[in-house]
Amino acid sequence: MILLDIKNLTLEIESQSGWIKALDKINLVITEGQIHALVGESGSGKSIIVKAIVGAISDRWRITADRMTWRGQDLLKMSVRERRKIIRSDISVIFQNPKSSLDPIVTLGNQLKEVILATNLEKGMFWNRAKQRKKYASELLHRVGIKHHEAYMRSLPHQIPNDICQKFMIAMALASQPKLIIADDPTRGMEITDKSQILKLLTRVNQVRKLSILFVSHDLLAISSMADHMTVLYCGQTVESGRMNQLRRRALHPYTKALLESAPSFRTDLPPKSPLSSLGGTIPTFQHLPIGCRLGPRCPRARRECVKVPEVRRIHEHTYSCHFPLHRDQK
Amino acid sequence: MNDLLSVENLTFENCHGKRWQHKEKRFTLGPVNFSIQAGETLAIVGANGSGKSLLAKLLVGLERPDSGSIYLNERKLEQYDNKHRVLNIRMVFQNSNESLNPGITLGSILEEPLKLNTNLDGRARIIKVEETLRLVGLLPEHRFFYRHMLSDGQKQRVALARAIILNPQVIVADEPFAALDPSVRSQTVNLLMELQRELGLGFIFISHNLGIVRHISDKILVMKHGKVVESGKTEVIFHWPKDEYTKRLVHAHQALINGQD
Repeated sequence: MILLDIKNLTLEIESQSGWIKALDKINLVITEGQIHALVGESGSGKSIIVKAIVGAISDRWRITADRMTWRGQDLLKMSVRERRKIIRSDISVIFQNPKSSLDPIVTLGNQLKEVILATNLEKGMFWNRAKQRKKYASELLHRVGIKHHEAYMRSLPHQIPNDICQKFMIAMALASQPKLIIADDPTRGMEITDKSQILKLLTRVNQVRKLSILFVSHDLLAISSMADHMTVLYCGQTVESGRMNQLRRRALHPYTKALLESAPSFRTDLPPKSPLSSLGGTIPTFQHLPIGCRLGPRCPRARRECVKVPEVRRIHEHTYSCHFPLHRDQK
Repeated sequence: MNDLLSVENLTFENCHGKRWQHKEKRFTLGPVNFSIQAGETLAIVGANGSGKSLLAKLLVGLERPDSGSIYLNERKLEQYDNKHRVLNIRMVFQNSNESLNPGITLGSILEEPLKLNTNLDGRARIIKVEETLRLVGLLPEHRFFYRHMLSDGQKQRVALARAIILNPQVIVADEPFAALDPSVRSQTVNLLMELQRELGLGFIFISHNLGIVRHISDKILVMKHGKVVESGKTEVIFHWPKDEYTKRLVHAHQALINGQD
């Protein structure tokens, strides 16, 4: 069953030189029980997509889409109140930096209890509620793998290590028993053992409870270990999308290939100390976006046609937008 | 072959309370021993709070070690001999964005170490700055730019330029690739390896990214709670890790690479 279906999502931001398309015709489909990765470098609009889905964007930005539905209901047409209700019960977001998105002056236990919906508790009289909440909270913490939950629930965010904070965030996300978790770069700046723990936790949650995960990151190593579908973004355009193993085996877009090759871990044949392949130049800023395919100036295969935005082409489940894709020169 | 930089029994204690009172030990580093030769790369790996950055600071002389000694070209670096140290060991700081002064041009940022440590006159300094900018892949005109006009990758290049402008023999870098995006990161890695080959630098860096560590380093130092738990050649450590902690790190890394299991 399709949970989230986004087609041609465009988001425009006003600046001194007119309206800039921060997101340009983004397509994204998430089905039930899927781990979908959203990959892109900084400034590619990953976080804006997350905000657009949950409706946390500024009123001054112009947002249009052919289709943006949550289980068949149109998210853009409904009132703020209805939308909030859906997001409250069905979608949870794990934000980028756990320490800065938790309240610094409320204990973690209270913050966790706050997000537990009354509908998730057993029926009982009101004087049983506090006890039930506490029990539910400690169950959640056990589920995400926090052992000494009593001590941690009494402490404030600055007193505990980063990875425990992240686990608290995941516990909070799980508290409302959502259908979809959006994890916005949950493993940023973590060392590898903590990272693999968090990833295992998310994978387990996905398998046990049939939960979909939208995993937003630029860490390809983490993504390839857990995701089954991947969408690659560059400067607000969807570049390529498809099954993870297919993309890894045969990337059609030059940018996807460059991204995969920039991680030395993926390449066992690479002799140590040899130069890594990389694209020249840097990511353009939003004020100076190139016209047409935004990868144009950095692309090794760019030709004259690239000043027009390439159309989305499709081979089975694999979609890409490039005039001159790799591996398909014969045509 | 002689060692470029060698460290013997380096220790550091972070104490709490006043000196004449009862000292409460909060953190002890070391003893640390290692040596590198010209053109070699040493990677320091470890958990947060294991003293990696502290070790880097001890090497460049930002902190004073309690005991132990550092030898550069088999000559002992004394604490008062800062001149010799700053000319030969330079540091690239963790956050290249915040380590550059936003109020002055890149030219003046790069000129500062030259003013303090060399006898070059104004014209020679500018020539040197332009030369260095070109060496790291920027344009000479970039010396008129300010920090906010550059992208992340370019800032990293400037931080690197500041480190190599005095023609040092050793560069110490604290997480130089952490804040960079993948495509820019591989550019920076290439640049570093190229500079190392050309100038014969010894390079010591701290990183969480084991993929890059494995790719560019010759030796690895694994740290945990201020102690060195394992050190040796990169390939040896990645193939036959001995210590429990190193095993965990390497296995976690392998599991991520091999993917869905």
